[in-house]
Order: sequence, then C-alpha cells, then structure tokens
Amino acid sequence: MGNEFLKNRLHITRKHFLGKLGLGFGSVALGSLLIPDLFTGKDELAQTVGLPHFAPKAKRIIYLFQNGAPSQLESFDYKPLLNKMEGQELPESIRMGQRLTGMTSGQKKFPLIGSHFKFQQYGKSGAWISEMFPNIAKVVDDICIIKSMHTEAINHDPALTFMQTGAQQGNRPSMGAWMSYGLGSENKNLPAYCVLLSRGRGNGQGVYSKLWTNGFLDSIHQGVQFSSSEERVLYLKDPQGRDRADSRKMLDNLAQLNDLNYQEFGDPEIQTRMQQYEMAYRMQTAVPELTDLSKEPDNIIKMYGADCLAPGTYAANCLLARKLSEAGVRFVQLYHQGWDQHGNMVGEMPLQAQDVDRSTAALIMDLKQRGLLDETLVIWGGEFGRTNYCQGDLSKDNYGRDHHPRCYTIWMAGGGVKPGMVYGESDEFGYNIIKDPVHVNDFHATVLHLMGLNHEQLNYKHLGRRYRLTDVAGKVVSGILA
Amino acid sequence: MRKIKSILLNFIFSLQILLIFLLFIESRIELPVWLQVIGRLHPAILHLPIGLLAFFVILLFAKNEFKKKAFTKVTSIVLLLTSFTTSITALFGFFLSRQADYGPDALSQHKISGTILSILCYVLVLVFDRYEKTQTVFFGLSVLAIGSLLFVGHTGGTLTHGENFVFAPLKNSFRDIPADASVFQKSVFPILEKKCISCHNETKAKGKLVMTSIAKFKKGGKKGVEWEVGKPEQSRMIKYIHLPLEDDNHMPPDGKPQLTKQEIDLLESWIKSGADFEIKLADLMENDSLKILASAMSTVSGEVETKVYGFSAVSEEIITRLNTPFRSVFPLYQNSPAVQADFFIKESFKVKALEELKEVQEQLVVLSLSKMPVTDSDLSIIGSFKNLEKLNLNFTTIKGTGLSSLQSLKNLSSLSLAGTEVTSESINTILDLPALKELFIWNTRITEQEKEKLIVDHPDILIVTSQFKDENTLRLSRPVLTNEGILKKSEMVILKHSMPGVIIRYTLDGTKPDSISSTMYKAPFNIDITFKIKAIACKPGWYCSDVFETTCFVDGLKPIHAKLISPSDKQYPGEGANSLVDGRKGFTDVLKEPSWLGFRDNSFVAEFDFGIAPQTIRKIVVSYAHNVGSYVFPPTEVEVWASQSKQPLKLIKSFKPEEPKNYSPQRIEALNISLETGVQYSVYKIVAKPISMLPKWHSGKGKKGWFIVDEVFFY
Repeated sequence: MGNEFLKNRLHITRKHFLGKLGLGFGSVALGSLLIPDLFTGKDELAQTVGLPHFAPKAKRIIYLFQNGAPSQLESFDYKPLLNKMEGQELPESIRMGQRLTGMTSGQKKFPLIGSHFKFQQYGKSGAWISEMFPNIAKVVDDICIIKSMHTEAINHDPALTFMQTGAQQGNRPSMGAWMSYGLGSENKNLPAYCVLLSRGRGNGQGVYSKLWTNGFLDSIHQGVQFSSSEERVLYLKDPQGRDRADSRKMLDNLAQLNDLNYQEFGDPEIQTRMQQYEMAYRMQTAVPELTDLSKEPDNIIKMYGADCLAPGTYAANCLLARKLSEAGVRFVQLYHQGWDQHGNMVGEMPLQAQDVDRSTAALIMDLKQRGLLDETLVIWGGEFGRTNYCQGDLSKDNYGRDHHPRCYTIWMAGGGVKPGMVYGESDEFGYNIIKDPVHVNDFHATVLHLMGLNHEQLNYKHLGRRYRLTDVAGKVVSGILA
Repeated sequence: MRKIKSILLNFIFSLQILLIFLLFIESRIELPVWLQVIGRLHPAILHLPIGLLAFFVILLFAKNEFKKKAFTKVTSIVLLLTSFTTSITALFGFFLSRQADYGPDALSQHKISGTILSILCYVLVLVFDRYEKTQTVFFGLSVLAIGSLLFVGHTGGTLTHGENFVFAPLKNSFRDIPADASVFQKSVFPILEKKCISCHNETKAKGKLVMTSIAKFKKGGKKGVEWEVGKPEQSRMIKYIHLPLEDDNHMPPDGKPQLTKQEIDLLESWIKSGADFEIKLADLMENDSLKILASAMSTVSGEVETKVYGFSAVSEEIITRLNTPFRSVFPLYQNSPAVQADFFIKESFKVKALEELKEVQEQLVVLSLSKMPVTDSDLSIIGSFKNLEKLNLNFTTIKGTGLSSLQSLKNLSSLSLAGTEVTSESINTILDLPALKELFIWNTRITEQEKEKLIVDHPDILIVTSQFKDENTLRLSRPVLTNEGILKKSEMVILKHSMPGVIIRYTLDGTKPDSISSTMYKAPFNIDITFKIKAIACKPGWYCSDVFETTCFVDGLKPIHAKLISPSDKQYPGEGANSLVDGRKGFTDVLKEPSWLGFRDNSFVAEFDFGIAPQTIRKIVVSYAHNVGSYVFPPTEVEVWASQSKQPLKLIKSFKPEEPKNYSPQRIEALNISLETGVQYSVYKIVAKPISMLPKWHSGKGKKGWFIVDEVFFY
C-alpha cells in the first residue's frame, strides 16, 4: 500500500512540477508581502523600546496608592446636599438600580449621610478640601483634582488589579512594568520600578505581589518590593568574611557559566538573571546611600514629619520615594493600607488622613523646591469611591460607607498636568458623574501620554495577540494637560 | 514558441489575480526591503508598455502593409509582451505606492485604472487568438485600452509632478501677496493653506468644502457656511478644531499637522471680528485682539509644540559608548537630537566622566549632577556645553567661585544650586544669563534677607527658596531595635534612631522611661534572659518621642523532648509540640502559620523532658499572642508541674495572670513564670487555661476565648 503512494508521487510530470512550483513560490512571495519580516525572524511590529515616542512632559512617576478606597465625600468631593438630606432615602432616580456589593445589597434602607468633617475652599481653583487634609490644602495650587474617575470593578481585589494593570484579572503587567518596558531605567544601579508598602491605622485590605508583576513582560520589569524594616533591601550587606572584590570575582565567573548556558539554550531569562546579579552588585553601593536618612537636613525631616525616620511608615516611604525618584527610578509605587471605612468613618478616617497628609504635601513641596516637580508625575488616590449612603445602621455620631465604583476622586501633580485645577464633576448626591468622566483606561492613556508614550503603540505580543496597558480602549484626557 | 506563450499567459493570469488581490488588501501590507527596491523601478519600466501599446496602434493602422500571417504573428507577440510588461509595471507600482506619501485620491485612481489597463491588455491577448471572429470586440477593447493608458498616464503624472503640472505656467499664483493685502490674505489664508487646503481643494474637496478661493470658501461645504459671523464658538469650523483628537470630525484629522494655539486664536479672532475678507491690518484699532494676533503671527514661525534644534543628532554608537552604570546618556525622545546626561553614585564620580561628555557638547541640553562631588573648577567643563537648558547641581560640593564659567550658557533656563555653599556674591555672576527662568537656592549660604532682595531685584526669574516653613515643635519618631527574632545568648542589643544628635533612654523594669533619669543608651548591651524594653528618643528642639516598647526573647535551655498532652485546636494546629521549642517565633499579625498553636476548648498542657540532665530552672517564659480584638487572650490560670527522674509529677507553681481590661494593639507577650525551688527536675509540665468567658466590655462577651502560643523558654 505504502509503495503505491510512493509510486504515485513518482508520477509527477514536468507540468505538475512547474505548476506546483509556481503556486508554492507565489504563496511564499505573497506571505512575505503580508508579513514582511516572515523570513528574517523579526517581529513585524517590533518597536524601538527604551525611549519616549515623543517629547515627554514627565520623566518619572510616584504613585501614592491609597489602598482600600478613601472616601471622596470626606476628602475632596464636597456635597452639602447630603448633610441637608441626612437620613433620607437615596432617591431611586439617582441610584437607577445600579449594582451594590454583597455587604449592602441586603440593606432595606439606603439613608444618605453627609460628611461629618468640615470643608473649605482653597487656592485659585477654589477646590473644596476637607479639614482632615490641611497640608494637602496648602499645595492645592500644585495639584489637579479629578472628581470624575470611574471604574468597572466593585470589590477591592479586581478594582485594585484593574487600576494597576488595566485588567481585572491578574497576570497582566502593571503600570510600572509597562513604564520600565517602554522607557527603560534611567539609573542602571537601581531597579526601574520600586514598590514601598505601609499600613495605616484604619480597616485594611491586602496588597500582593501580583499588583507589581511584570506579567508576560521580561522579569526585569517586575517591581522590586522594598522591605518595611530597618534594612530596606535585604541581604545587601557583604556577608562576614567576604569583601566586595570576592563578590566581583564570583560574579564574573558565574557570568561565564551563565553565558555558556545561554549559548546552549538561548533562554532570555538567563540574561535577565545575569543583569539582575550585576544590578544587585551595584545596588550594594547605591541603596545604602539612598536609605541613609541621617544626611537629610533637619528642615527636610521636619517637613515630612518625624515619622519619616521610622522605617515602614507612609512618611518614610514618601521620603524614600523622593530619594529614589531623584536618583532616576522610573516608577515608585507606594501602597498605604487602611482606607476601607465600612464603619467607624469618624474614628478611622482622621487617623488615616493624619498619617498621609503631611508627608504627601511634603513630597510635592520637596520635589518642587528641587526643580523636579515639573518632570515627576505624582498620583494620589484609591481604587474606587465610597457610597453616599450609610452602610449598616446610621447612628448619630458614626457611620460607614460601602464601595462605589461609579464616581470617585483622585488627584495628580507635576509632570505636565495642569496645576491648580479641578476636573470633572459629580452630581449633587456625589453618586453619578455629570461632567467629563475619566475611565481607568483613560487615566492610563493619559499617564502614558505624559510620559511621552502613545498608549496605542506601546504593546507587547503574547499568546498571539498584542496587549496594551489600555487594552482596546482609553483616550488621553487632554483637559488636564498643561 | 507555443509552450513559452502558454507559460507566459498563465503567469500573466496569475499576476492579474495578484493585482486584484492587492487592490483590496494593499493597505495591510508592509514591504520587505528588496521589494522596495523593485518598486522603485516602476517609473523606469512603465515606459515599456507605453511604447509597446503605441507600437500596437501603429501596427493596427499599418495592418495592410503586412501579409496576413506576418501581421497575426507580430501583433500576437507585441500584445503578449504588452500584457506582460503592463502587469509587471502595475505590480511594481503597488510596491512603490507603499513607500511614499501620495495624495490618497489621485493614488487610488491611478491604482484602479492601472489594474484595469493590465486586465484589458490580458483580455486583448486572449481575444486576438480569435481575431477573425471577434474583430469588432477586439477593436473596441483596443480603444478602451488606449483610453485607459492615457488616463493612467495622467494620474501617474499628477502623482509625480502635482496637480495641473502641465498648465501651471499659464495660471496666476495666489501667493503674490501685495503689501497692503487684507488680514485674511496675509494671516488667515496662510494657515488654511498650510493646514487645510491639502484636503479642501478642487480635486479633493472633502465635505464639499473648497478653501482655495474666497468665493468658494464663502460658499461653504455640504453643511453650509463654515462660520457664524462674530460667534467663533458657534462656527462649525472652530467647533471641529476643538473636538478631541480621536473624534472623527476633529479637524485637521489625526495624523495631519495640527493647528497651533496661536493659529486657533487667530481664526477665532478673525471670525469674532466679523469674518471680513477685505479688512486690512491698518484699518484695525491698535488694541484689537485680531491685530495683535495677526501681527504676532507674522513674527512667530514654525511649530511651537516641538522644539526644533539647530544641531544634528550624534550617532547611536557614541551614545552607547557614553553610557556607563554611573553615567546615563540618552536622547530626550525617539529621533530627538537633544541629549540628557545624568550622573549617579558619588563614590564612582570622576571628573574625566564629565569631560568625556564633550563628544555631545552641542547636543547636551539637560545635565544632572545632583549629589556628585563636583568642584568649582569642574564648572568650566560645563561652560562648554553651550546648548544646555537645564542644569542640576543640587547638593554638590561647589562653593560658587566657579559659577562665572557658566556665563557662556546662553540657553540655560533652569539652574538648581540647592544644598550647596554658594553665596549671594557668587550667584550674581549668572543672574543676567539671557534665558534663565528658574533658580533654586534653598539650603545655601545665601541669607534670608539676601534671598528676599534677589526676588525683588529679579522679578523675571523664579527664585525658589524653601517651600516649607513651620515654627511648631514636632514630636520625634520612636527609636527602633535592630535585632530580629530570638536573641542569641551573647547577642548585643542595639537601639537605633536615624536622626543625628538624638539621645535614647530606656528602662528594663517595665516602668515608663523619662528624659532625665532613665538610663541613657550609649552602646549595645547584653542580657541573657527574656526582657521587656521601653525606650524614648529625645533631641533639643523636638518633643521626646512616644515610648517604644517590645519584648526581647532570648535563647534558653533546650529540653530534649516536648510533647502535647492535650491536642491543639484544628484551626491553629502548628507543627505539634515541636513548634514550642523549634527556636522560631511567629509573626504578630499572622496567627495561621506553623509557629502558632491555638487552644480554646482544651487547656494548653505540654510536657518538656530534659532526660538524664535534669535542670534547675529559675524562670519559664511562655511567648503568646495578645490580640484582644480577635478574641486572643492571655490564659486565666497557669500551673507548673515537675518531677525528678520517673517520679510522679507534682504541682510546684500555680497562679492567675492579670486579665486585660480593655482593647489594646495586637502584639506578642511573654508570660513570665518564676520558680524559686532550687531543685533539679528532669520533666516540667505546663498547664494554661484559655479564657472561658470573654469579659463584659468585650464585643464577644460570654463567648470562649483563645490562648495562642508559639514558643516556651527555660532559664
């Protein structure tokens, strides 16, 4: 049987041969037309990464993430109507049957509740800021408050993941990883993407390494988490009995071995690892210089508040963020936990505000006085907002608010954002957006734009598809560009 | 011959298919380099089909001069060649069309007509085989082919030489603007000409709007007139300009050169003042905004958004060479000739590294030397980077004497000198730099009065002094303990505070330390038994810190064997009795991990066996979790039983620990059990009862509480 097949193949005529040859050649030619780099082994849409696409406004980002979702109604979105209507039912015309979390969907009543904290207008934009943030109020002319953010997720984990990676499920690269991929590292002695964690005194929600993951990008773009302990980067000291020269010799020999391995297997992760070893070696000099706070002048310490000397506090992280950013770290990501006030708003929110207010304002002022604010983008905000109605029973002196993704407030400063501005508006119930909505994708597109990157061009091919931070959406919010 | 003909015919046929295919999907194609080269041959080989078709026409007219057979043969060959060269030319044309920006309208006309011509020629070849029967059809097709050749040629000519190339010399130019021309002609029309006319002209007329002449512009497009006299905000033209870039109606469309702010202002102002085509600059009032904008327009030229530099980029190779771990050199953005250089790690700074930047001395516009040990003499090197715009010398070691060498930096707009020892005399030398806009001078030797005077004397420079003033006294942060985990027997206890000049005072007896009488921390010390330390930090000018308080667990005697008499709860199983003596402490906030053993229904009962080496134990320390909010309490009753080798156990100590009176932060506590027996025992048994009813003040009052333990120490 097999023999007959073979014989049949031998019956091919010259005509057949030429015909097949023509067709085959034609399809190869056509293929090379459709995918020009088909035979070169290159990626057809491969882009130059490592430099901005156009003149950037911001060179670095410090993202002060307020994890747990601080209430916009107690901070920057003043709604006196809620105080007037306190205890009254949220009108159905406003809620319009929107979904609620499982925590309040069973509630029979949705009593409106106004802020128990006083508001006042500040600065040339006349922005309303609550009494809990007196220091941020002092830098109001440097910040741009966006009151019309909205997101798609209603629970912490997906919302946080969405805000950080542009997707609600994990495994996509986070903002910092995209920046590292798109713009590279300015200082080769430090990671391009650093992560600093701190915990407040309010009800907290977890943060986890998937939020600063490199996703499918090379692992060199992963966020490097700093320790909250006295030693901010662990194991940087030379072990007892071994000096720097020994390390150098060991690394050189190791590099040779790794290189052999790379020649054999060609796995790019081997190169990544070699680069990481080298960076770790140089970090041995670079990091102690950064984390040594004893050289900071007294007036700087005073500006951030004395807490900035206690490792692991938000204030210490703000100061370190300034130092990292000053040293060319592309993206410094802070997470401050404890903003999830489902109850005890009156007790917890002032503590949270107290922890962040002074040092946040100090960071803005410090960057400004170093001439760095115009090239550093500072972002402050959480993953969603909080409801205008009370979660649980409304008592006379305390209340709580549930998750509210339809409208919330963040602010940005420096890096090409219009200073002293309030953008967008919510309705007088603080429930829906009535002007200039900004979706999370738009936010990402804008941040990339400020960094000189076109969000549609910054992409990475993975599993046969091109991924972007903004996925298939996102528009640059030109209204806030300076 | 026939064989060649049939192969050629088949090949030509496949080319027609390819051409039609390309016509539709061409926009999705990117060309490999070698095809680009071939594409560029299009303008050369296109002359072959033109010549052959011309020859074909001559043949038709001279038909009677030939013998019939000869005519058929020659014409057949000519047609075949014509068809072949036409198809090839068309294909090459497609390759070429991908490489340059041609007007899309003329280009698509040229492409479509070219393809049609190629197909017509192929059909002609087929029809000519039956020439006798199909003479009329053949001649008809021939005329069509000639016609489309003319059309293809014309559109092709338009592409290469532009619209009306042939008749251009006969037309008047719009560009000759007379000296007393109207504002429209002088200022408005040039904007339209630059940014709009490429789509709004007679040939293209997008939206039926033509802007090439005043009459046609006045008529407007298919939606009518483009402006409302005096109301720019209601004029369609202005509305479209202000739409977001992504909007389909935004003008000019995304990808085309956009209008600048000044240009928009001018258009708005022109509409506002009446959209007058005749009014002249001289007719306008002196402070008329249109006059101001229009006269400004004639002086400002080029784009404002992207800065254009007069120098050219350096090679990538130089950039790569200049990059070291301690010096980053990079263009500001893709294709920008301007370069930034940053220095890092002060230990690695060498003046030579600064000198090497002379390779990019023209291109260098941003230089950051923040915190580097730069001296005044090094500033002369910086003085040679004549296009420098931003210079950061914050916290360098300069004293200011060399600042005069920066006088050559005519483009310097931002200079940071904070944290240096510059004086007000030394900065005087650079204050009249023509481009200087910001100067940062806080934490320098310039006094407050001098700063104020500088600000008054130089209103055009933003002089940044300290952003922060606060006369209030602040509380210091707490000192910290640098030791981690369980302390070794001889390990030194180290207290630390990051602020220079701080005094740390501490107590070990549980009392609150004060700023006068408590022991002052001078050097690391050693204690060989678990202890509680309370410490404060003080410094003149600051309030003393809050009390830092922690329990330090110290290594003790190790029993040979530990066993649990009653099992731990399933929720906190730990690793059995071994967890109690493994030398690993649990975390304060994560109780569900193997270090912790939890008890609620059972009492904690554990036996520790010292085997053949009985010990006199002075003190037992049980380390437990204190987290009242989560129902985790100290035990209510503690008993210690002991026995000498193989004797029955007897009770040697029993007591009731103090019960918490209110909520307090979560922490790890030590339960100290002092034994003053003086007797050597080989086996110790510890019994601890979890709280059976939570106290009244607790939200879980009446419920059972937990006792959660991670380690037991013997001293």
